[in-house]
This record gives sequence, C-alpha cells and structure tokens, in this order.
Amino acid sequence: MNWLSAAVIALLSGAFACLLPMRNAARVAIGLASQVLATALVLGVAVPVAFGGPTLDAHMAWAYPVGMLSVHLDALGAFFLVWSLPMTLLGSFYAVGYLHRHFNDGRHLGVHFALLNLTSLSFLLVYTGDHALVFLLGWEIAALAAWLLVIWDYPNQKVRFAGFNYLVSTHVGLIFLVAAFMILYTRSGSWYLAGFGRWMQVNPGSERNIVFLLLLASFALKSAFFPFHSWLPRAHAAAPAHVSALMSGVIHKAGLYALVRFILLIGRPDEWMGWLLIGFSLLSAVIGGLYTVSQRDLKRMLGYSSTENVGIAGIGFGIGCLGLSWNDGTLVALGFAGGMMHVLNHALFKCQLFYAAGAIYRGTHTVDMERLGGLARFMPWTALCFLLGGVAISALPPLNGFASEFVVYSALLHGSAAAAWAKATLLAVAAGLAFVGAVSALSITRAYGVVFLGNPRDPAVATPREANRWMLAPTLLHALGVIALGLLPALGLGLVEGSVRLPLALVSGNHTAALAPLHGLAGSLSLISALALGLTASIALFWWLRERAGGPARSTHVTWGCGHTQPNARMQYTGSSFSWDFSRRFRGILVLLRRQKAPDGYFPTDSYLVGNCVDAVERRLFSVIKHGDESATDLSRLLREDSPRFAFAAGLIAVVIIALLVAVSGEALG
Amino acid sequence: MSPRQTLLLLLLHVLGTLCLPILLVGVVNRTKSWWGGRKGPSLTQSFRDLARLLRKGSVVSATATPLFRAGAWVVLASALLAAQIAPWIGPLAPLQFRHDFILFAYTLGLARIFLMLSAMDVGSAFEGMGAAREAAFTAFIEPALFLLVGSAAIGSGDASLAGSIGHWHAASSFPWLAVPAVLVLLVLLQAEAARVPVDDPATHLELTMIHEVMVLDHSGPELAAMQYAAAIKLTIYAGLIAALLNPFDAQQAPMSATAAAIALMIAVAIAVGCVESLVARLRMRTVPAYLLSATVLAALMLAVSSWLTEAR
Repeated sequence: MNWLSAAVIALLSGAFACLLPMRNAARVAIGLASQVLATALVLGVAVPVAFGGPTLDAHMAWAYPVGMLSVHLDALGAFFLVWSLPMTLLGSFYAVGYLHRHFNDGRHLGVHFALLNLTSLSFLLVYTGDHALVFLLGWEIAALAAWLLVIWDYPNQKVRFAGFNYLVSTHVGLIFLVAAFMILYTRSGSWYLAGFGRWMQVNPGSERNIVFLLLLASFALKSAFFPFHSWLPRAHAAAPAHVSALMSGVIHKAGLYALVRFILLIGRPDEWMGWLLIGFSLLSAVIGGLYTVSQRDLKRMLGYSSTENVGIAGIGFGIGCLGLSWNDGTLVALGFAGGMMHVLNHALFKCQLFYAAGAIYRGTHTVDMERLGGLARFMPWTALCFLLGGVAISALPPLNGFASEFVVYSALLHGSAAAAWAKATLLAVAAGLAFVGAVSALSITRAYGVVFLGNPRDPAVATPREANRWMLAPTLLHALGVIALGLLPALGLGLVEGSVRLPLALVSGNHTAALAPLHGLAGSLSLISALALGLTASIALFWWLRERAGGPARSTHVTWGCGHTQPNARMQYTGSSFSWDFSRRFRGILVLLRRQKAPDGYFPTDSYLVGNCVDAVERRLFSVIKHGDESATDLSRLLREDSPRFAFAAGLIAVVIIALLVAVSGEALG
Repeated sequence: MSPRQTLLLLLLHVLGTLCLPILLVGVVNRTKSWWGGRKGPSLTQSFRDLARLLRKGSVVSATATPLFRAGAWVVLASALLAAQIAPWIGPLAPLQFRHDFILFAYTLGLARIFLMLSAMDVGSAFEGMGAAREAAFTAFIEPALFLLVGSAAIGSGDASLAGSIGHWHAASSFPWLAVPAVLVLLVLLQAEAARVPVDDPATHLELTMIHEVMVLDHSGPELAAMQYAAAIKLTIYAGLIAALLNPFDAQQAPMSATAAAIALMIAVAIAVGCVESLVARLRMRTVPAYLLSATVLAALMLAVSSWLTEAR
C-alpha cells in the first residue's frame, strides 16, 4: 500500500518537477525517471496480486466530500496495472524519439511528459479506487490528459477540431457515468463501489437495468464501441503516434475494465445483459472491421481497428456474462479469460502498429497510403514490426492474437448453452467473428502491401530513413511481447487466471472443474505454438541449406508487366483500388466518397480520381444537427411576431402555466 | 482398434496428403481433356512439372523484398499443416483437438495473407488486382466453414474437425443435410483452390485471373511450392467431402474405408473437372453473390441442424 502511495507521489512530483528545468533534455529526463520509479513500485505491488496473491485493501481519511478514501487492489485491477504502466512508460520512451526535433525549437516538452505522468496516475486511481469519486477523478484525469496530449500539434486547426470532438464525446460519456452513479448513490446510500455492488446484487429490476444501460453507454464511449466511436478516427489520426498508441491500446481499456468491474458488482446479471453485450460487441467488431478496409490514412485505419478489437474482447465478456446468469463456471472462465487476454494482446500489437505508423510519419511526413510505397527497403525493422503486428491483429497463428481469439472462439463454441437456439446463435456469432477475421486480414494485407511493398508511389514524398533507436526500441519490445505471448500461451493464460477467479467465485459449483477447459486450451495452444516453431525452424533451416548449397541459379529482372514494357510506380494497385471490390458491396454502411475527372478528348491532360471513406455516424450526427437547426428556423418562421393575436395568446398561455406551476408546487410543499 | 493400427492410419493420412494432390490434379486435367476430346496428360504429369520446376533456377523481380521468396514456403508449410487437421479417411487426423478447425481456418488464412503479400511485393498492377479479388472473395466464404462445421458439431456432438465431419452420418440431421453440406464444401473448394466458376486456372488473360495472376512473378522452386500448395488445398476439401460421405467405418474396416475415401476424392475431382468443362466461369461481379449463397446455405443448415437435434 505504501508503495502505491509512493508511486502516486513519484508521479505527481515528477509531473511538477519536469516543468521546472530550463532545458528540454532535463525535463524529459525527470519525467522518464519518475515514471520508471513509479512503474517499478507499482509492479512490485501489482504483480503478486495479479498472480493470485492476497487482495490489498486500505483506507485513508480524506477531506469532504470523499470522507474515507478506500483503495482496493484485486486481481482484476492488478492485471490491468501490470501492463498499463509499463506500456505508458514505453510510450514515453518512444515520445523522446518522436519529439526529438522539438528538443531545440522552443516547445516546452516538460508539459507533454507531465501529462504522460498524469496518464499513469489516472490508471492508478481508476484500477485501485474503490470510492466512486476517486474513480471519477481518475476517469476525468485520463480524459483531460489524453485531450491535451492529442492537441500537441495545436496550431493545426484539424488537430484542434479532433481534440474538441474527443473532449465533447468523452464528457457525454461522463454524463452517463455520473447519472448511473447518482442513481446508485441514492439507492445504496454509499459512495463505495462495493456498496453499489451490494445494492445491485439484491435489487434486479428496471432501475438496475437503467443503470446497466447508462454504464454500458458510458464505457462504450470510452472504449469506442460502434456507434459511439465517431470521435476516435479523428483523434487517432491527429495525435502524435505514441499518444494514439497509448489511447487506443492502454487508456481506453479503462472502459473495458470498468465494464468487467461492474459486471462483477452486479454479480448475477440478467440473461439479456449478456446477449445485449454480445450483439453490441459483434456489431462493433463487424462495422469497425469494415471501416478499416477503405481508410486511406494509416492511423485512421488503426483507430477503426480498435473499435473492431474492443468488440472481440466484448464478445468474450458477453459470454462470461451469460455464464454468470446461467451459473455455468466453464463459460465464465472461458469468456472472461478470452476477453481479458484479447485486451492485453490488443494493447501489445496496437501500440506496435501505431509506433510503426509514427516511424513512417517521421520519415515521410505523411501517413496517406496512396502516396507511400516500397518502404520495406528503407526501413526494414519498422516493416518487420508492422508485419508482425499485422499478422497478430488478424489473429493468425502463431502470434498472440490467435491465442486470445482461440479462447474467445472456444467460449462461443463450448456448447454448454441449455437451449438449442442459444447454441446456434453463439455458433452464428463465431461465424461472424470469422468474417471479421477475414476482413481484418484484408485490411492489413492492404496496408502492408501498399505502404511497405512495391515501389514508392509519389516522388514528392521524402525517402525515409529507419526510425531512431528511441522509437525502434519500444516497437521491438512490443513485437517481442507479441511473439512471446503467442508462443507461450500458458504465460497469457496464467496472467489472466487470477482475474478470472473473481467472476468464477460468483458462481456455485466446482471451480477447479470449471477451470479445466481453460487449462486444456493452454495445452492445445502450446501444441500449436510448438508446431509453429517447428515449421518456422524447418523453413529457416531449409532456406539456410539452400543458400549454403548455392541452390539453382537465381537472377533478377523487372517485374513481369504482362507484355507492357514500360511499367511505372503510378501503375501499381493503390489502396483504394485494392479495397474497392470489397467495400463497394457495403455501400449501405460505408460512406464512400469519390471525386473524379475522367480523361477526355484525344490528348487528355488533367484527370484524377480521389476516393475516401468518411464516418457514417459522424456524418449522420452533423446532418441531424443541421436538420434540427433548419426545422427550428422553419418553425419560428411560422410564428409571426407582429401578430397581436399571437402575442396575446402566447402571453396568456405563459401566465396559465406559471399559475399552474405555483399551484402544484404549493401543494407539493404543503 | 489397436494403437498400432491407428498409427498406421495416421501415417497413411500424411502420405495421402502428400501424394493425393498430384493424383487429383491429374484426374481433373484428364476429365477436362476427355470433355475436350483429347487424350490428355498422364495422371502424374503434375509431379513431373513440379520436379522440373524444382530443378530450375528462378527469376526474382528487382522490386521484391525477402518476403517474396519466403512467402511461397510459408504458403506451402501452412497448407501442409492444415492438411494434417482435415480428415480424409474417416473421423481421424494426425492433429486433432477441441475446436481444431479454428486453427485449420486461420492456418489457411495465414497461407492466404502470405500469398497476397508476395503478390503485392513485386509492385505489379495485375498482381495487386488478383490479391484484392482473393481478399474480397474469401471474406464472403469464410463464415461458411464455421457454420458448416458448427452444424456438424451440433449433430455429431464432437468438437474437432475430423470428429464432427467423420461422425456426422450417425446423427439424425445427416440425411437432411448431407446434400447441402457437400454443396457448401464444393463451393469452398472452388473458392479456396481457385477452380471454375470462381476462378479459372487455365485462363490466359491476366485481367480475368485470381490465383494465377498472384503467382505471375514466381518461378522455379517458388512456383512449384505455390502450385503444390494449391493442389493440397484442393485435396483438403475433396478429403472433407470424402470423410463426410464415407460409408465405411475407419476403425472397423480401415482398408475399405481408405479405398472408399480415395474413390470418393477421385469422384470429387471428376466432378470438379466436369464443372470446369461444362460451365463458364462467373463474371467477377457475381462471384461474391455465388459465395455468399453458400454462406447463407450453411447458416440455414446450422438452424436446421440445431432444430433437428433438439427435436430428437
């Protein structure tokens, strides 16, 4: 406990101290040092708890209105802490490389690193706070810090717009959260999450349903589920790469943490809650996946893929929820384990992909796929990391994405559902997930193929150099994590097992037996990774032997142009042509904009085709606002102000209403 | 059945997945020649082609990165791994565990992604086009496999690919669903192994190709790996149909079960050859509808299967 307070103090004092020095290098060094210290302290406390150690509880007197500050660190919070803080630290190291050219241009980097410190602090508050106000405080610090981090490049109007868009969305989410907390406080008379839980466990009914829906909306906004994601593509495209990475991979996982936390507090959720969560998550996964296909901005595409992946994790939690309401321990274990593993895995590979995208941006000053190409030759390490992350995010064996999706699939296909229709529905959800997998393979092939393979498309784009070491090291560490959790699935399952025991404790029956299928999965997954290792080793050996033996003669030639002898880089398949075949079939869901001027006449000079895919939800939102505005104008046009009859009637109605209100309130008070 | 017999059967399975691709491609080509009034190449012609390619040197595009050459071998290794999960003799396969068909589907997915990436690696417009088509079309067919295996698993109560397909004929839903299951598997075969009406392996115009255009720049041993992998995919799906329809029990009568499985696979190859000779390939824009209809059929099968299983 003392270590946790020490970590809080380290982060806060680091945040203040890194504002003070005169030189940017000193500011950054202080920020990093305080984060390293805090991370070490937190890991010292959280790792034992995450691996099944005793839960930490502490109380501290605090000023009004908090009263007694309560800290509760159980396996769930510890699991999230164990990777959130180290990843934020890695992000801060990446920031050093990413912001390197600002060290001497007068920007105050201390602010940026102080905000990164505050982000870490918000994790500590949210993941350990047992008091609703502490929880809200952490929630709000995370939101504000993320907003300020996003608008790093604030002179750019687009960046400011993205930042405000995010700020508004996250506060709409806060309103839902506060509303839910107000209902819970008035009903339970307690500010403690545990107190909320005691009320929710024994009071099923419409009020609990409303609270659940409010919370779901709030957490969905935080984690960017569809259709609450409209802030996400803009924010992720506008922010510096490490901020996008941290937001997508780490900060917004707080929404999923809170979701699991409140499911645990509800104890035995109604069946519809599980089904709603599964349906909602599948929708997110499918639509997020579809949107990744036709984006031309690499970071926007990665942003949409977050919507897809929180959907996949949400499906796991939904099954766990169903398991809780059916009192089925195996389903609880598989569902929550799958969801939790996917949360961790997504954090690993999503940060890695964003870091690679940041390296591209630093090298070429653009992340527009249609202008890039052939980068693998100039930045081989970045290319390798992007490929590994891409294979992992498409859930292909043997990397970690496959391990967690395999657990989610096993939960879906476990077949312990009572009714046949439920079994068939879960199978259909699995088929939907298969579709999502194919779609994400499509979009990652497109991204990697267009950006890293082939030839550079635009001569105006600078030829990049490999990213510097500060940027490369965190990316490679994430890649190592992706490989390690893929090849040693027992490690990932061991990491989540502690937190899976929490929901498991809520169902009756033999818990060891309920965990058995999960351990069986570890066996299957280890077999898979052994096979993968064997195959990779044999391919490598075969390759090496062939290289050594000299092999058959090999020569180099230009790409076969199907008879055309003067190919150029502009003739390559572009990102939009790659996705056109697929995405035009989903024009009902995707808004595909095309601006074109066809070649005309015998000697066409100027012709172009620009394709883009914009967010349907955001468009709809603005069109509703516009229509609302127009209809209000129309209405006011109908009411003629200069008509004396109308003025008299309106005055009369107002007097009557006031009189009625007075009468009613008098009765109520009397 | 003794462990030794099981081991022998599994060895036979591995041997089959290595040799049958050559035989089946030969059968398809012979069938097509027969319809065309030609004598046709010998059944082992594709083996000779592969051997010749392996001896040859290769020409690599100047644009290509190392991924281009590694890709072919990843595709081959993945196809071989998938073939060890899918059954062909009966309800058994060397790799068999709960929900192994997820590994099956995603291993084939890994093969596909490396096939597409090595196509895009050379920076050719045509190869990009082929990769785009492959990616778009397979997304429509991907759920079909899950729905099909799901209905089989509900019927047979077995969670592995080999078990659910191989044991399905004992279930009450099988007589109703056998024909649609074979149809869905045939469409899956046509999509995955690039056969008519989804793709035409014999076409000579790059604009109309899918699989062939992606391997345009491969030559020598890499081309051999790609072609062998495509033949293995054909064998995998033919083997699934054989395991589904096999009238003999592999445990009781291993010899007749194996003979029947090979006969069934040859029958599938003949059917593929007949379709290829008699039906024109679909227009590109109608291919997704064709694939989607298989997925819808598989979804209907799932509903019927769970309804029939509950009714019993």
